[in-house]
Amino acid sequence: MSKLDFYKLKNGMVLLGEPIDHVQSVSFHFLLPAGAALLPNDCCGAGAVIGDWLFRGAGNRNSRQLIEAIDSLGIHWNTGVSAEHLSISASMEADSLRPALELFADIILRPTMAPDQFELSRQLAVNELQGLDDDPRDKVMIALKEQFFPDPYGRSTMGELTQLRGLTPEKTAAIIKQCFHPSQMIFAISGKYDFDAVCRQMEQFFNGDTSYEPFVINPEYKGQSYVHYPSGGAQVHIGLMTAIPPINQGCYYELMAAVSVLSGSMSSRLFTEVREKRGLCYAVGARYRSTKDYAGISCYAGTTPDKAQETLDVIIEQFNQLKNGIAEDEMQRAQVGLKTSLIMQCESTASRAAGIAGDHYLLGRVRGIEEIRDKIANLKPADVEKTLQKHPFEKYTVVTIGPKEIISNQ
Amino acid sequence: MEFKHRQLDNGLTIIGEVNPLAQSASVGFFVRTGARDETSAVSGVSHFLEHMMFKGTDTLSALEVNESFDRLGAKFNAFTSEENTVYYAAVLPEYLEQASELWMQLMRPSLRDDDFNMEKNVILEEIAMYKDLPQFEAMDQGRALHFGQHPCGNSVLGTNESIAALSAEQMRDYFSHRYAPNNLVLACCGNFDFEGLCHSANNKCSGWKSAEAPRILSPFNGTFEKKNVQNGNLVRQHLCLLSPSVSMQDSRRYAASLLGTIIGDDTGSRYYWALVDPALAETAGMQCESMDGAGVFYSYICCNPDNTEKILEIINALFQDIQNSGISQAELDTARNKTLSAMTLRCEQPMGRLVNLGFNWVYNKNYRSVAQEVDGIKSVTLNDISELIEDLKPGKFTQFSLGPRELA
Repeated sequence: MSKLDFYKLKNGMVLLGEPIDHVQSVSFHFLLPAGAALLPNDCCGAGAVIGDWLFRGAGNRNSRQLIEAIDSLGIHWNTGVSAEHLSISASMEADSLRPALELFADIILRPTMAPDQFELSRQLAVNELQGLDDDPRDKVMIALKEQFFPDPYGRSTMGELTQLRGLTPEKTAAIIKQCFHPSQMIFAISGKYDFDAVCRQMEQFFNGDTSYEPFVINPEYKGQSYVHYPSGGAQVHIGLMTAIPPINQGCYYELMAAVSVLSGSMSSRLFTEVREKRGLCYAVGARYRSTKDYAGISCYAGTTPDKAQETLDVIIEQFNQLKNGIAEDEMQRAQVGLKTSLIMQCESTASRAAGIAGDHYLLGRVRGIEEIRDKIANLKPADVEKTLQKHPFEKYTVVTIGPKEIISNQ
Repeated sequence: MEFKHRQLDNGLTIIGEVNPLAQSASVGFFVRTGARDETSAVSGVSHFLEHMMFKGTDTLSALEVNESFDRLGAKFNAFTSEENTVYYAAVLPEYLEQASELWMQLMRPSLRDDDFNMEKNVILEEIAMYKDLPQFEAMDQGRALHFGQHPCGNSVLGTNESIAALSAEQMRDYFSHRYAPNNLVLACCGNFDFEGLCHSANNKCSGWKSAEAPRILSPFNGTFEKKNVQNGNLVRQHLCLLSPSVSMQDSRRYAASLLGTIIGDDTGSRYYWALVDPALAETAGMQCESMDGAGVFYSYICCNPDNTEKILEIINALFQDIQNSGISQAELDTARNKTLSAMTLRCEQPMGRLVNLGFNWVYNKNYRSVAQEVDGIKSVTLNDISELIEDLKPGKFTQFSLGPRELA
């Protein structure tokens, strides 16, 4: 049985842990309530700037001292921005955990936020955003989310150029102050650790008790069903997405199985029909994407201009056919694939820490491995068909980037 | 962890690192072949062949192959480099035997003409996809520039023309000697039964005929040429710098790898403080790639085109400083800690460990445990790094640039 550690600080901050036997590493994952959708309207991209600025000095260390302290412990760290969170994650050998938590508490709670360092963080965010034009695969999926999700949930996490340029150190520091409340943070740890010691340390650092006032959000659909961005590349990059119920509405496993039948492996329908039988592209794949309140199945394919229309048509046909029936052996392959992914995820301390933090946020609880495994094992093709008939794919949002516009025949 | 080794009479090597506590197992065939083993007449055949290996055997269709792996829940795929083609699958322990036997079957494929013709479309799409990824394009063309006529500069993908002209017959001929059992290593990691694996291999692979599969290992230093390709569709400048490094057979490869980390790791490196921290470039990295009888340090930098000259000046000054003053003990200690923790994390998953295990054998015909790898990294001294810098002179490099700028 997997064991879940849970502790809540007095201010409401949640600490979660799942030990993994026989490993020497430990990973932790912070979810901070500073996702792209939760920020003020004229600050698109502030999350990317903040993610860099936090590491440019904290506590009594300047930028160089801070990075050197992290590096000397052999810590591998990352920051990421989603619609709902700014995440900060770190993996290391277990002996480095205690000093690592001290450093990351400084980074989150006592960043220096020096104005000269802000300019550099903002410049890097501008650079990254401009570089997106040289990466049409990423760009098409970012543009797709903007069209598909209601604003601000589809807002680009990389930012918008004029708004990035309009950010100031004062405005950005104010966002950090307003968002970084321990009471709204989720902390998850996985691997080799002593939970009591972690709790004592976290309590010491994160015990601040403050009143939290989130920015007000009024989600609004603004997107179009088809948008094309002309570019002179070799391929047309196609992004497509259709709505499904979000994870907390009870049909998560059925929908994961549906995505797996579509695209979970090399015998899945998209790979077989688009690539193997027709040779239309090299890369094609679908993914399940969910925020707390909105979810969709997205799909990417890249193909040369003359094949783009047929590629899109075949993909939509495969999405539409899914509700007509799933064979028993297709279902079994999807189930064993999902089960294997789950168990392998549990061998990685970093994946598991991110997984339990995400579960707690989206579901209000962490699912044990046994629970997930049982749910997957008990699925039947009829369950998936019933879910798809109850929540049919009604319309598709399509975005293309490339030398040729295509017409969506939905 | 326990290491196991066996060789069949036809030369097929079977190696395994058994860890009964692991939750999964991984298996792979390592074929000692890649772009450097191709003539220009068959440029791209190694990679195309890798795709064709999934098309089945006389008794299995392509769809049946994919379905068979998927029934085992296998995370399976393959990759081709300049000198290796690797087929792998990660599975839960109860499926390892079946996954291994499936790979054994697939190592003797049909290579049917109709599959070949259909897959040619996919290869051409893959070439088009990489044309839209300037980072890949800069690295690929930079490599070709650095190696000049040396076979390590051969393109893995080939070109539209070479792929269009390739015939199934040419591929079958290439396969017949490059995939001989004496040029293959079957490697396995994690929770599995080594004797069972050998039993399967004996049943399924002992009939394979050995053959000559030579490789040219000529010494090489690099052309040190400079080239700029202007592309008005791009908005950033993509730089690739290459200089000689040590081979996989060279005991200094740990020192070379640490030097790559000191100069070009994502954070806290010389490149980081000189280029990324001051926001002159959004990406600047350097790493050492040790190969069969050769080695290369790669740098990739992505930046605002207007910063290109300034960045090159800074890089030249940075290497001059390293050449004159060396690196500090603190830099070495930090790089060592980062490398060791990365190794710990990677080796906790059988799939992460498989590639190291297989390549060690392919290149050096020996086994190195994680503990030995750790010792190799720990034993590098400041003096080792200084001697390496003196010997390799990493500041003298081949320079390839791709972007909107017209550069001298």
